[in-house]
Amino acid sequence: MKLSNKLLLFTSCSKLIIVIIFILILPLLVQHIASQYTNYILEQQKRKVLIDLKRNGLNYYLQGDTEYGSYTMLKEEYIAIEPTSADLHLDNIKESKRIVENDTLNYRILSFTFQDKGQAYLLEIGKTVNSINQYNKPLQRFTLYTLIVLIALTLIIDLTFLRLVIQPLRKIIRMRLFNRKFPFKDQQPLIKTSTSDFRYLDESLLILMNQVNEAFEKEKEFTANASHELMTPISILQSKMENLLSEDELDEALARHIVEMMKTLTRLKKISGSLLLISRIDNEQFAKSDVVYPKDLIQDVIEELAIKLEEKQIESISKLTINKRLTNVNKDLLFHLFYNLINNAIKFNVDRGQIVIQDAMLNTDYYEIIIQDTGIGIDEKQLPLIFDRFKKSGNADNMGYGLGLTIVKSICNYHHIQLHVQSIKGRGSTFKLLFFN
Amino acid sequence: MKVLIVEDEKTLAYEIGEFLKKAFYVCDLAHTYQEGAEKIALNKYDFILIDLGLPDGDGLDILRKAKKYNEEAAYIILTARGNLDDRITGLDLGADDYLSKPFYLLELQSRMHAIARRKFKLQDELLPLGAFRIDLPKRLILFDNTPIDLSRKEFDLLSYLLLHKNRVLTRMQLSEHIWGSYAIDENDSNYIDAHIKNIRKKLGVWANTEWLETVRGVGYRIKL
Repeated sequence: MKLSNKLLLFTSCSKLIIVIIFILILPLLVQHIASQYTNYILEQQKRKVLIDLKRNGLNYYLQGDTEYGSYTMLKEEYIAIEPTSADLHLDNIKESKRIVENDTLNYRILSFTFQDKGQAYLLEIGKTVNSINQYNKPLQRFTLYTLIVLIALTLIIDLTFLRLVIQPLRKIIRMRLFNRKFPFKDQQPLIKTSTSDFRYLDESLLILMNQVNEAFEKEKEFTANASHELMTPISILQSKMENLLSEDELDEALARHIVEMMKTLTRLKKISGSLLLISRIDNEQFAKSDVVYPKDLIQDVIEELAIKLEEKQIESISKLTINKRLTNVNKDLLFHLFYNLINNAIKFNVDRGQIVIQDAMLNTDYYEIIIQDTGIGIDEKQLPLIFDRFKKSGNADNMGYGLGLTIVKSICNYHHIQLHVQSIKGRGSTFKLLFFN
Repeated sequence: MKVLIVEDEKTLAYEIGEFLKKAFYVCDLAHTYQEGAEKIALNKYDFILIDLGLPDGDGLDILRKAKKYNEEAAYIILTARGNLDDRITGLDLGADDYLSKPFYLLELQSRMHAIARRKFKLQDELLPLGAFRIDLPKRLILFDNTPIDLSRKEFDLLSYLLLHKNRVLTRMQLSEHIWGSYAIDENDSNYIDAHIKNIRKKLGVWANTEWLETVRGVGYRIKL
């Protein structure tokens, strides 16, 4: 998952959780506030009544009566003063039912007892429970809407800011890592960012890439130098052996020894020659200015390998139907490419086996050549390794892949040919070459 | 014919010289650019073999200089550089052939032979080979004026053996001649046997091929 998506998901989720918690506790909260507020109002009213009583006397309310009662039109509130027994002492607020004009209503009632001229009185101030809770719903709704709007607003701000902050990282990924072709030749400037972590990451990546490049360059240089430096001593040895062999009156046994030495030297020569070739391809020392018709080229290769096909009685079936013209390629290298692939198809084939070579246009852009053999195949575990240098097939017969496929891979890379291998152990291998127009 | 070998590796120069002497060439050795330039200015040569990597100068410069003094000579560039540009420049400057180190001395000799035939207009005659005759320029092998059908590789192999007749050629030497350097398979030389078998079969129909000898453990030889 991308970091930006992860952050988006995380912020959204955290905000959602907060909203849910808020929705759950909101009714309780509102109810609590409303109830507290009502108590406060009742206390205020009680104080007002007491002040009035002190200022005007009880009679101001009783007007000669023994008790006083008053309620609002919809009976939402009422106030009553009545005499009570002297040993009753009350000063509390609680909910209770009262009958007002035949209606039984739920009230929150403040009860307070006081003395006036030796007589104990009970003061009751009541408020219907319904009227206390009447604002709860709209209040809740309003709070909720405000909250949602605010959350949405912060979400938008968060995301905009996140994008802004993450942008350098996306740039680093896009420019440094995505679609980069090895070796990294083009030197790129540092990506501008005020985030020190990203700057550190970018710098480190650049340093790493340069190090990889340097190591690669050094390896190429070493391969080229080493194989090149080997050529001269090999030349000398080879010439000496040739001269020895052409001596008159050469002892037969000695001649055989010299030939054995020559064989070993040939092996050394082929290895350094192949390494040199790979380094030359990797160093782009071959001009890509030829025009090649694969059909003709493959025909030449098959002719070149005719004796091997004949020896193993392998049938090669060339089903190349498209007279495709490849431009901007190196003919020698493409010859090498097909030579190595077909040579392997013969080498690792069974006697009286088969090699099928066919082609196809995948669409207007891609041309494909498939080389399929009925050989011993490649172990699934070995498959990713076959293009590495000097990997052995691990077979008892010790037939190594040597450098042939490494050369193939280098030529493909150099020509931007996509190479795919499929293989079933014991059934054969299929090499697919995909040429981009 | 007179040959100048400009090669800074003394041992290699000596071995090339020794080999060519046996083939009746007269050889002169030069180990530096200076030495080579002097010898070219003083003497006439039929062949000049130039190594490109000299300690005190570029072999290509010698080629440029030598062309002035010694225009008729044939030039063969020897190099371990194997650089494509060198090859093109060398051939542009008028070199007749180009050999990458390591090369077989046999191959050098046959290239020189081919150049000599072309450049010095040596008489091309039909070369006798037992009861057969070989026409090199037309790439034909004849029995009583009847051409015998050999594959390209078989003909190359036979003519190479004939060119170096009475000498044992190893499978490696033959293999490098007919397959060149792109054959990276070290076992390729075994297929020489298959070619020889085919040649014997195809020619054996017409006459005996005793002259084509197998030298056990070493290689093949045409004995005439």
